[in-house]
Amino acid sequence: MEDRAPHRQGTAADTPVLEMRGVTKRFGAVVANDDISLSLGRGEVLGLLGENGAGKSTLMKILFGLYTADSGEVLVDGAPVRIASPRDAVDLRIGMVHQHFVLVGPLSVAENVVLGAEPGAAGLFDRGAAEQRVADLAARYGLAVDPSARVGDLSVGVQQRVEILKALYREARILILDEPTAVLTPQESHELFRVLRGLVDQGLSIILITHKLGELKQAADRITVIRDGRVIATVPGAGTSEGELARLMVGREVKLAGRRAAAALGVTTDAAEEPAGGADAAGPGGATAAGAATAGGGATAAGAGAAARAGPARRGPRGRGRRRCGGRWRPGGAAAGGVREDGGERPVRLSARGLVVAGVGGATAVHGVDLVELAAALAGTRPARAGVVELDGQDVSRLGAAQRGERGLAYIPEDRSTKGLVRDFTVAENMTVKTFDEPPFSRLGWLRPGAIRRFAARLVQAFDVRPADPDARAGSLSGGNQQKAVVARELTGEPGVVIAAQPTRGVDVGAIEFLHARLLAERDRGAAILLLSLELDEIRALADRILVIAGGRFVGELDADRATDEQLGLLMAGREMAPVGGALDPGDAAAGGRGTAADGHPPGSAPL
Amino acid sequence: MDDVLGLGPLLASTIRFATPLGFAALGGLFSERSGVVNIALEGMMLISAFAGVVGSYASGSALVGLATGLAAGLLIGLVHAAVSVSLQADQIISGTAINLLALGGTGFLMETVFGSGGTSPRVSAFDPVRIPGLADIPIIGEALFNQSVLVYLLYLLVPLTVFVLRRTRFGLRLRATGEVPEAVDTAGISVVRMRYAGVALSGMLAALGGVYLSMGVALSGMLAALGGVYLSMSLLSAFTENMTLGRGFIALAALIFGRWTPVGAIGAALLFGLAQALVVTRGSDVPIPQEFVAMFPYVLTIIALATFGGRAVAPAASGKPYRKE
Amino acid sequence: MDTRPAEAPDAPPPPRRPAAEVVRRQLGAAGRALVFPAVAAVLAFAVGAVVILATGQDVGAAYSALFRGGFGSAGAWGRTLLNATPLIFTGLAVALPFRAGLFNIGGEGQLYLGAIAAVWVATTLGGPAPLVVIAAIVAAGLAGFLWGAIPGALKGLGAHEVITTIMLNFIAINLVTWLALNPLAGASATPGTGSVADPVRLARLGAGLGRAHWGLLLGLVAAVIAYLVIWRTARGFAIRAVGLAPEAARYAGIPVAVNGLLAIALGGLFAGIGGGIEVLGVYGRVSIPFVANLGFNGIGVALLGRNHPAGVVLGAIFFGGLAAGAQEMQFAADVPLDLADVLLAVVLLFVTATGIAELLIGRRARALVDGTTLGRGLAG
Repeated sequence: MEDRAPHRQGTAADTPVLEMRGVTKRFGAVVANDDISLSLGRGEVLGLLGENGAGKSTLMKILFGLYTADSGEVLVDGAPVRIASPRDAVDLRIGMVHQHFVLVGPLSVAENVVLGAEPGAAGLFDRGAAEQRVADLAARYGLAVDPSARVGDLSVGVQQRVEILKALYREARILILDEPTAVLTPQESHELFRVLRGLVDQGLSIILITHKLGELKQAADRITVIRDGRVIATVPGAGTSEGELARLMVGREVKLAGRRAAAALGVTTDAAEEPAGGADAAGPGGATAAGAATAGGGATAAGAGAAARAGPARRGPRGRGRRRCGGRWRPGGAAAGGVREDGGERPVRLSARGLVVAGVGGATAVHGVDLVELAAALAGTRPARAGVVELDGQDVSRLGAAQRGERGLAYIPEDRSTKGLVRDFTVAENMTVKTFDEPPFSRLGWLRPGAIRRFAARLVQAFDVRPADPDARAGSLSGGNQQKAVVARELTGEPGVVIAAQPTRGVDVGAIEFLHARLLAERDRGAAILLLSLELDEIRALADRILVIAGGRFVGELDADRATDEQLGLLMAGREMAPVGGALDPGDAAAGGRGTAADGHPPGSAPL
Repeated sequence: MDDVLGLGPLLASTIRFATPLGFAALGGLFSERSGVVNIALEGMMLISAFAGVVGSYASGSALVGLATGLAAGLLIGLVHAAVSVSLQADQIISGTAINLLALGGTGFLMETVFGSGGTSPRVSAFDPVRIPGLADIPIIGEALFNQSVLVYLLYLLVPLTVFVLRRTRFGLRLRATGEVPEAVDTAGISVVRMRYAGVALSGMLAALGGVYLSMGVALSGMLAALGGVYLSMSLLSAFTENMTLGRGFIALAALIFGRWTPVGAIGAALLFGLAQALVVTRGSDVPIPQEFVAMFPYVLTIIALATFGGRAVAPAASGKPYRKE
Repeated sequence: MDTRPAEAPDAPPPPRRPAAEVVRRQLGAAGRALVFPAVAAVLAFAVGAVVILATGQDVGAAYSALFRGGFGSAGAWGRTLLNATPLIFTGLAVALPFRAGLFNIGGEGQLYLGAIAAVWVATTLGGPAPLVVIAAIVAAGLAGFLWGAIPGALKGLGAHEVITTIMLNFIAINLVTWLALNPLAGASATPGTGSVADPVRLARLGAGLGRAHWGLLLGLVAAVIAYLVIWRTARGFAIRAVGLAPEAARYAGIPVAVNGLLAIALGGLFAGIGGGIEVLGVYGRVSIPFVANLGFNGIGVALLGRNHPAGVVLGAIFFGGLAAGAQEMQFAADVPLDLADVLLAVVLLFVTATGIAELLIGRRARALVDGTTLGRGLAG
């Protein structure tokens, strides 16, 4: 990284650009922010670190006028201010880039940027002037973006630039970014940090909210750690170890060593504690979470899995229940709402075998639409436009989601609150939402509520869903508990294949640990698991093989143990490894180019 | 040139059927683009048709009737906005309530104002205004340019709507409000105010459609243009209970069919108008029972929706009450 | 490690809820359910008072006549229950599809078709009168079911049911008009069908309740059946899942389109039976014009009753009383009959207005409108 020393110096002497003192915010009985104080110096990047649910976002929403604090005060340039609405925040030149972008897809970049402060006289909107101003702004801050492009057509990385431009257009000098790298490739993240550094050079001050330790150390001058709604510590970005940060964030010693550890989250899974090989202090940040060890002894990494297919003799002790989930898949087209079809019609076969966790990462599509599409096509909730989906060697392409489920396919959809759960049903009803019409839950078409509740009570307990009340409304549960309920339902009945789409998105650390352990336990039982995630760290923590999807098609596969961030990033940016057409099946390719692919050096394109 | 095929009268008839639909569809557009579903177009037209007649009856002037009709449309639009935006009622249900309110309310007011239900007394209406020059164009001239002032107003409103949506601040903000209200809110613009504006405009445009129905054209002109068949479902310069007969919903269908764009919506309204005009002007050649002729526009609307409705892309936030966190 | 739920043998039995708590929960739920309807009704009467004042009448006299005419005597109750009978059916016709997330405003047309089907069967079929009555009601239900299935099927093609059901109302009314004036025309001087023979008519309840007839009991039975279907059967489970969260239902493998179609067709079935019963119990024939707005008023009944069958019965009695009282009000206080329709519309206007109750009881109010809002637009 560049030398940041000039920024770090001198900030202490100045009046902070922004200061929050004793800010407290309650939601009912829950104290989201408890007496929080922090300060931001001029030209400083302040990291705000905390787990999901620690209160970071609430704090920033207070700062941006979306929430009102119950007590405490906010000072800008040393003077107390009142921020009752986003408008007040904008007037104070505070800008915010939300985690979920607030962009109008059908409008152009320029229209999105100038919305609310449009150039033009007498109520007219001068589109030409708007585009010119946005182009000037983009050039000045080094943000490459076409002002006349339709925002809905842009990649996530570019959309984020539009969000930053929105703030800059309103002359923000304090910029808040909420989990800005959550949906970016490593390269895009790197580019973002470069842009942020440029902004700081031009005098802006930045608050960077994240739960990723590694990038924060890179980018932040100081880091304020929040846990359970309280400020735990403020430490310098340089000179604080990631282990220290993780301990501050989680509030206990965390094991950062070991393969299959979600290192950047400071989490260890049960499976990772089993001594199994040469895994050694891979170091946090996930970037080097290497190590050849496999949890549970019987699992195989991708390379071996490929071999297993080539020769049955290689079948391990847990070879029973070996299943194959193959799919030829193409993006769903316009109906999917923004999936691009840049000629990516090459049929692709994807195989997840028993005892394998295969992760699929990808980030160039808008908000991971590609992954969502793939999961839905495999699970049968959205018909694939072409191609074949095989389950256990049988063609299930024409079967609906329910029939695929009966054949041993479990599906944890990416959005629990709209797809995984009926929020206004009870937990018990949700536990049986796929089986309510079968005995013992109904007989002759009549429901048997007693049987449903008994079943649900058992699941609630086994999966530690809280509150442990089968009659609770599912929507009233916390995110982590909702997800546990979904997973409990899906993993019942020993599925042969589990498709898990972003299973830990937005849940707390405890639940992440639990869910990861569960998935690995399923793997050890003999299920093939396809993990679709935008979180590289999660994929690294769990996967044996990593498949990368970008722009609607598979662009390569890497061995999870040997893949580097750079390789993954290149793939996620759409640089393909295998230059030839035809099926990209690691199994089929075992004899030939497999080794090359695993090394991640695409024959056609050299790594940057 | 002789109009041997009778295209002129057919076109004139098409315009007359399409005009109330066109006004209401444009009205629906402003509401929907602001993110508020407007099932209430029907009721807005009905109440305005009545209010226009009352104004015209009391003053003897069609223009005063237009003003009272517009005022009624604005008022009902504000009621819809108050209930569905401020009070966050379900937009479709509150729209349905307004339709029932219009039906019951005009019935109640017919009794109160005119002392009896059914049909109001005849009132002064908008006579056709012949535009010299343009009306002399062979075949189409008479049909397009010997119409009521309201029809010419609609001609102007279509390009004006396009301009407003694309070239004004208000239009940009309105489109954004219907898609992602959060973006508008965070840009410091009041979502509530935008939606009130959209729904209020919607009410006034629907009112124009209603006023055209009840007093769009003087009866004498109608008879001359169309002949007797037309009368059973036509435009009289009087108010008849439930005289909108589902036109508000057909206008909504036109809006959907026209993909929520002004030109598309007007095109769809013209298509519906043409189909109806064909049945009415040519239907007498075939012995179809009157009831089946009357069913035609509704069947056509259903077919149009079933054929193309699924492909339409509505404003994303339409139908959803906006709540700040 | 093995913690799979299916094999957890030692899971304790789920906590049984004591009967008293169950009852308390149910009563609490019912009480909360009535908050919105009560607020809406009070507001409607306030608006009505303003309207009455504006017409120069005495509000006190008008409303006391309204109450007297609706609930003041056995005869008043008879008229109220007579009015309520078809409204129970048309209310259920809205409530059941609503549970599947569909807003059926086609009850009017479905009722018309049920009425004409009942008349056709009752006037042409021979045999023992009770059997003919049953056949006529079955025919009415079937007609409504099929007519209701049309918007259900069209929904699958992307046509919004709010528009298609309205269109189908106009089509049905024209169709029934033609049927009643042509193939089924009677000899009577007033236009319409022939009359159903007396033995095939539904008997009156008696007990001083005037013209109220046994159709009321059928309405109550229909409400119970609707309740059982929605909350006690696997089909009802599917319908509710589809209505509450179509996406989640689809992901769970519950076919959304099929369940929606079935729900709205079942709604049509209720409306159709309502039409048949109205004919067999009250008019004996379909005259042209036929009784209007029973279907539309069912919307208000259902929403006031929060789309719950028990609420629908209460709502039907409320509106039945309003309509009965309005006659008395017109007679005694010279307020036009249509005021009842206005009151109904105003109730409907406010009954889903979350904002009002939020003002009164805070944000908890949002949970109280569950089951009475659709929250979506016109596409797809």
